[in-house]
Amino acid sequence: MENNAYVEIRGLQKFYPHKDGKIFRKPGEEKPLVKAVDGVSLSIQRGEILGVIGESGCGKSTLGRLLVRLEDPTSGDVLIDGVSTAQMLKKDPKHFRRQVQIVFQNPFDTFTPRDTIQKILLRPLKHHNIGKDTEERLEIIRKALEAGGLRPAEDIMSRYPHELSGGQLQRISIIRAMFLNPGFIIADEPVSMLDVSVRAEIINMLLDLARNHNAALVFISHDIALTRYISDNIAVMYLGRIVEYGSADEVIRNPQHPYTRALISNCASVDPFETREEINIEGEPPTPINPGPGCYFAPRCYMATEECFQKYPEPVDLGNGHYAVCSKVNCAACGKCNPSNSNA
Amino acid sequence: METILSVNHLNVTYVNKSRRVMAVRDVSLSINKGDSLGIVGESGSGKSTLAMALLRLHPKGTEITGEAMFEGKNLLTISEKEMNELRWVKLAVVFQKAMNALSPVHRIRQQIEDIYRVHYPKASSAEIRERAMELLKLVNLPPRVYNLYPHEMSGGMLQRVAIAISLLHHPQLLIFDEATTALDVVTQGQILREIVEMEKTLSTTRIMITHDMSVVATTCNKVAVMYAGELMEYGMVTDVLTHPHHPYTQGLQRSFPSLKGDNRKLESIPGFLPDLSKPCQGCVFAPRCPHATERCFSQKPPMFKTGESGGAACWLCEGEENGK
Repeated sequence: MENNAYVEIRGLQKFYPHKDGKIFRKPGEEKPLVKAVDGVSLSIQRGEILGVIGESGCGKSTLGRLLVRLEDPTSGDVLIDGVSTAQMLKKDPKHFRRQVQIVFQNPFDTFTPRDTIQKILLRPLKHHNIGKDTEERLEIIRKALEAGGLRPAEDIMSRYPHELSGGQLQRISIIRAMFLNPGFIIADEPVSMLDVSVRAEIINMLLDLARNHNAALVFISHDIALTRYISDNIAVMYLGRIVEYGSADEVIRNPQHPYTRALISNCASVDPFETREEINIEGEPPTPINPGPGCYFAPRCYMATEECFQKYPEPVDLGNGHYAVCSKVNCAACGKCNPSNSNA
Repeated sequence: METILSVNHLNVTYVNKSRRVMAVRDVSLSINKGDSLGIVGESGSGKSTLAMALLRLHPKGTEITGEAMFEGKNLLTISEKEMNELRWVKLAVVFQKAMNALSPVHRIRQQIEDIYRVHYPKASSAEIRERAMELLKLVNLPPRVYNLYPHEMSGGMLQRVAIAISLLHHPQLLIFDEATTALDVVTQGQILREIVEMEKTLSTTRIMITHDMSVVATTCNKVAVMYAGELMEYGMVTDVLTHPHHPYTQGLQRSFPSLKGDNRKLESIPGFLPDLSKPCQGCVFAPRCPHATERCFSQKPPMFKTGESGGAACWLCEGEENGK
């Protein structure tokens, strides 16, 4: 599976120095670190949509920023088609930017308020030398806008960002990312600012992008139902680490990690008849300042034992590419595990 | 069942120099004692305006017509003094951002005491403390919270404090205006569960204003769907969310994915919200409605009865009503 992956994330880490206000330190005392992303390894195929879910502060947005290299990782690397992005960025930054694109959460902040949509959309085309002259580029923009359901294109092009609705701007944001025909797209909470009735358009647009343009897409969201709808695979993050990974249906319908279970049991559903198991997790989400050494979730976990506080658990293979990083997944006590999935 | 609040033909118009925005138009609904009503709608649907008008918290210069009867009094016409007597004691509200609802420079204790003494000026600190401890326990907070400042607490804790404060004087009607929207999934789930749990012991009536259908599905028994300032459909949650009659509710339902059920294709509702400063003939939803006929554009549909306790403002439901 790892061999033919299009994007490969290898042990990605990002630590920020924690501003604790101390000016002087004892000699040898280390500065505390905020471990926003702490060793994430994943692989994504072409045409695959990977959903990343987790609470706020779990590092999912930092992961997105690391993937497009808006932030430099503390360690680890991202490989696209087997080539390190660090090297790619050094050698040919233009090529890298063309291959990796990001769609941000807030469409109102994404565009310069002083330029018309036409000017905004012309810029990436000019920069990457797509189209011979302005005429041809305008034609490309016109076609893309109309394909994205923004009609009449001429009217949209002459407008300023503040004259358009959030849904329209977000579509333009996606169109802009698509222009360059990128192989790898990161969508960081692309619909959380939008109204429900326009959300579906954006989601279906992203789906189409991955399916028809054969791009790898990372969909970062806190909306579990939506992530399940769009994704092929889902990774659940907690304090900078992936705690569960598997196919979307598998993770949502048959969650194994206690954190995923709690997350799903607390997620409100539109179906008034749907039954849910009730799992309360204790306490508030902790901060990622020097967590550990045991399982990061252990202090809030309802099935934590002594051992959980000692050592960070190894991933457990549950079959069909479903992994959960918990030492209790296969324990007899929980009674819900499948004995045939015993850890190798 | 006893009706606790009945809103009749409520209109709220925001007026400024250049235009008049009719944010709520001809909304009538009633809430029975012990009900939990969810008001859902997208941004700009007038759901918050409706609540602010009921609480008389709207900005100056807002024009309000119609009536809102609460315990024999019209909330819209009583004097400010009378209204102040109702606030906290009979009517209480919890806002979306508890971080902004609480004063950052006072301890929670101070804020609870202040609110308590508005209505009982002679209450002793010990007495208030006792009541506060009771409430903090109800919302699953440790007693130490009483002496903390707001910045020392997380968003979930603050929202719980805000809910506890709203219950201080045993109000009969509680309004939650997007009270859990800013919270994380897990915290939101827990607070929603606590709210439902709490109501089993307290006999409060609740209005839940939210844009999230799933919040209504899990915590309310009745639902009212608003669009562009008008009431589109109301009824029992189990009816409206499973068999919506109004095309707008149907559209909303199709744009929410199910958590565990089968994956069906999500559909959006094409078009935009109408300009609320322009008068609207006919149905407000008609320009975006897939079933709109000529009549929809010229004649405003009245509220037709759907089922036993529901209603939908759509011409499509006309025949249905006659059929029954």
